[in-house]
Amino acid sequence: MDNHLQLHLALSTTSTRNLPRNDEKKRKFDESFSDDEMTSNKRTLPLLIWNDNRNMDCGCVDVEEHAVVGWPPVNSRMRKVAEHHRRESTASNYVTVDNGGGGGGGLNSMYVKVEMEGIGIARKINLGIFGSYQALTAALMAMFGKRREMYKLTYRDKEGDWLLAGDVPWERFVRSVRRLKLLKKVW
Amino acid sequence: MAYSFPEEVLEHVFSFLSSDRDRNAVSLVCKSWYDIERWCRRRIFVGNCYAVSPEIVIRRFPELRAVEMKGKPHFADFNLVPEGWGAYAYPWIAAMEEAYPFLEEIKLKRMVVTDESLELISKSYKSFKVLVLTSCEGFTTDGLASIAANCRHLRELDLRESEVEDLSGHWLSHFPDSCTSLVSLNMSCLGSEVSFCALERLVARSPNLRTLRLNRAVPLERLANLIRRAPQLVELGTGAYSAEIRSDTFSNLADAFSACKQLKALSGFWDVVPSYLPAMYSVCSGITSLNLSYAAIPSSDLVKLISQCQNLQRLWVLDYIEDSGLDALAASCKDLQELRVFPSDPFGAEPNVSLTEQGLVSVSEGCPKLESVLYFCRQMSNAALIAIAKNRPNFIRFRLCIIDPQAPDYLTLEPLDAGFGAIVEKCKELRRLSMTGLLTDRVFKYIGSHAKKLEMLSIAFAGDSDLGLHHVLSGCDSLRKLEIRDCPFGDKALLANAAKLETMRSLWMSSCSVSFGACKLLAQKMPRLNVEVIDERGPPDSRPEGCSVERAYVYRTVASRQRLDMPDFVWTHDEDSSLRYS
Repeated sequence: MDNHLQLHLALSTTSTRNLPRNDEKKRKFDESFSDDEMTSNKRTLPLLIWNDNRNMDCGCVDVEEHAVVGWPPVNSRMRKVAEHHRRESTASNYVTVDNGGGGGGGLNSMYVKVEMEGIGIARKINLGIFGSYQALTAALMAMFGKRREMYKLTYRDKEGDWLLAGDVPWERFVRSVRRLKLLKKVW
Repeated sequence: MAYSFPEEVLEHVFSFLSSDRDRNAVSLVCKSWYDIERWCRRRIFVGNCYAVSPEIVIRRFPELRAVEMKGKPHFADFNLVPEGWGAYAYPWIAAMEEAYPFLEEIKLKRMVVTDESLELISKSYKSFKVLVLTSCEGFTTDGLASIAANCRHLRELDLRESEVEDLSGHWLSHFPDSCTSLVSLNMSCLGSEVSFCALERLVARSPNLRTLRLNRAVPLERLANLIRRAPQLVELGTGAYSAEIRSDTFSNLADAFSACKQLKALSGFWDVVPSYLPAMYSVCSGITSLNLSYAAIPSSDLVKLISQCQNLQRLWVLDYIEDSGLDALAASCKDLQELRVFPSDPFGAEPNVSLTEQGLVSVSEGCPKLESVLYFCRQMSNAALIAIAKNRPNFIRFRLCIIDPQAPDYLTLEPLDAGFGAIVEKCKELRRLSMTGLLTDRVFKYIGSHAKKLEMLSIAFAGDSDLGLHHVLSGCDSLRKLEIRDCPFGDKALLANAAKLETMRSLWMSSCSVSFGACKLLAQKMPRLNVEVIDERGPPDSRPEGCSVERAYVYRTVASRQRLDMPDFVWTHDEDSSLRYS
């Protein structure tokens, strides 16, 4: 072990503990999350967005699932506020979520806003992870804590028309849906 | 020559110096100036309670009236500092009890304060006036009761963001009827309900009350009566802002607000029912500070509120404001200086609101005085950051948090080096920077080259190698605080820049690549640095020397490096034996 300090800065290729990375090399998105990087890279990788959790029954993500301590950097007060709002938004009535654009490329970019009659704050749901109307509706009902028979699912398509969901095949629906709205059934 | 001026004259001259830096400079001129200055210093700020000891402070400054001190490092806010690490206030309180019988003010941040400490404060100082506990913990409402009961001339009791064990709301009733001196009361962090009658009476007999921040347990129906008793209020924090919608409640509240002609700051707003927001409209044109960080208010209602507040200088808000709300903010609030946007759903997998980098770009375009930003979002691009830097070269604080910590530029998938590079290049007065996103060593090169006034830097999940850390330590001339987590920075940069560390207050590195061997070496070479290895896995020498430590906290100190209150998961250099850490 050296007994005096040296300015001995190695370029990344000689670094012993870290994944060598050339300064010039661009890090592509899919490369960032490839398996071998995950094991050899010292950094802990997040987290939630890429977790393949298909279980939408609860409609929300448990705080305990997040393995990265202290991330995102919100203090305990803010965390409590967020928890509180999460509980509120699943219980309350009028949640309006506006979809900037459904369809499009890839599993992760099919976010659709969901509105429920009576709720002020919108939610967003990733349509890409569902395969059928049934799965979607089940997840929505769980998210809002409502009973399926009380609501009907409507959607606005790319022409701007509001339609009752379920008439067109699922794949076509997913490509054309822009916004979802759950309306109370009028008896 | 010092002899030409009698001491009293010099003292009088020094009394005009309020800044610590000026006083420190004065005390370096010569021995007699040092001596005169130290006898007449009344206020002291200690940025790190372990940088100095109570004995040293008391010996140098025998006549203090106000002490302000910080304990745990900033990352303690995010649970990165294990419980029991330290920052206890009691040794300071106990030492000062004897030394400063005329002490008037104690302000502590991120320290552990016990009920015993509070009781000691309340009984030791006859003219005690100001107690501010920011992000502190370790005390209960019983300690508050002591303060209320015994501090006859109390002016300020401010518990902002502290974690208080709330046994009951009864503490408030301990303020004696003779106490009429209150200027500021902030109890917003408490949970329990206090006696509303006691609160109303307290407010009514405090003619100098300027700041009143209630806690959530004070219902909206009670707010009007409280405000009516204090129309001179400058800062108000409401309790829960929700009630059944009734026109008499509304008009009562609106009337009460309209009597508050001096109101400048508003906060609180738990559980907001938007229909009650218009009750405040009469005061909005005078409001300069609005803290809505607990309020779930839809964007449209936020816009209506904000467009009434043309003189707004500071806004703290949740991301429910969305890009559209920020556009409206940019259009209405031309005096805006500080913006903080917090995430309403920080752990959610999907975005729940339509808030993107565009909101920040709009505000940077529309608000010429904007100088301080904290922004949580889910996507960012180099183009946006470059635009922001061009729009707003007057930033002094820029803190960006992208929820996915290694998110690249979402448009090009490249690292965000260029974007943050633009920020440090254009914003020449930048004093504080927090970065997230996909970042390589290149961004640190930019920071080292350009960020010459940077005092505090926070880094997470960034960089490629020690070169990154070296750029920062060797380039940032004004750096005082550096906090790093989960970066591949290690021994080489640390050891090569050892001398730099003594010019800074502190360096925090957790989940990096710093070895125990390097920590020992650093401590050995730099006797005035305390190198704390904070590791909950047991003794560091039970692992190979090249193994990375969980956390290293390095700070300059003139006190002993073996602090007496060290828990068993902290190791520092043992002065007695060579290279043995105990």
